[in-house]
Amino acid sequence: MNLNIFLMNGYGIYVWLSFLLTFLVCLFLFLRTRKTLKKLEKDFIKETQNLSQQQFEDLKKQRIVKEILVSHSRT
Amino acid sequence: MIKFLNPSYIFYLTGKILNFIKIFVIPIIIIGVIFSLFISPKDYIQGDAVRIMYVHVPSAWISLSCFALISFLCVINFIFKIKSISLIYKSLAPIGLTFNFIAIFTGSLWGEPTWGTWWAWDARLTSMLILIFFYIIFILSYKFITNPERSSKICTLISVLGLINLVIIKYSVNWWPTLHQPSSINLAGETTVHFSMLIPLGIMLFGFLLYTALIFLMKYRIETIRVKKKSLKKL
Repeated sequence: MNLNIFLMNGYGIYVWLSFLLTFLVCLFLFLRTRKTLKKLEKDFIKETQNLSQQQFEDLKKQRIVKEILVSHSRT
Repeated sequence: MIKFLNPSYIFYLTGKILNFIKIFVIPIIIIGVIFSLFISPKDYIQGDAVRIMYVHVPSAWISLSCFALISFLCVINFIFKIKSISLIYKSLAPIGLTFNFIAIFTGSLWGEPTWGTWWAWDARLTSMLILIFFYIIFILSYKFITNPERSSKICTLISVLGLINLVIIKYSVNWWPTLHQPSSINLAGETTVHFSMLIPLGIMLFGFLLYTALIFLMKYRIETIRVKKKSLKKL
């Protein structure tokens, strides 16, 4: 196996570290954002359960609310 | 046309686009990484260290573009007071900050083998570091100033001041040429990067732009749900 592909004539450590750091930071931001989104959807649905049946039915007519309910039910 | 400006429709659309982007983002980035690390040629002076360019340059471009867009949106919001615009710039700022951090860190990793130093107080590097502070102050402003009108005013002020810094970043390599090289890729002028290097750069840029769109849409949904939650409490 040609190790120079990974060593890159001594520059490997800088190159691999750059790519690794970039993807780790991107992955962290993605996971954190997804977690916040899921939590907010869950909290929103929890709060709608405290509403009266009539209020909930009125709320469900809104497209955004319908979307949140659908999105949450998928997960 | 009005349908496309309706927040409900935008929210519905974000869901659809998100699902679409999720399919493409990882394969495109994988193709970009294969091209960047294994297929693209070495530079005749920098050798393999040039491969850092494929993450450094797109990150810097995205962080600069995000701030320029934020400034534009802040000014529009300040003049026309369109509520949904604040949701857009709030969703963009964390992505811009992330890519600004990546650009500085990968730049430092590129600087060590090519310049012999991790950091220098070069005009381009310093102005990029200042941009990070602008991003941080901007994010703190909308997070901690609860009065929406005041928050909007302060955000506009910060973003307009940051816009001056963007001009400095762009021309710093021409005005104070020290360590950082001048622009190699010019939309209006001559591009000095070889085509075989432009292909991986283009693929990586496209992959990063898709990732930016993915995070932006998720953040936009977060901000919209926050607004909806607030209105729920008023019921």
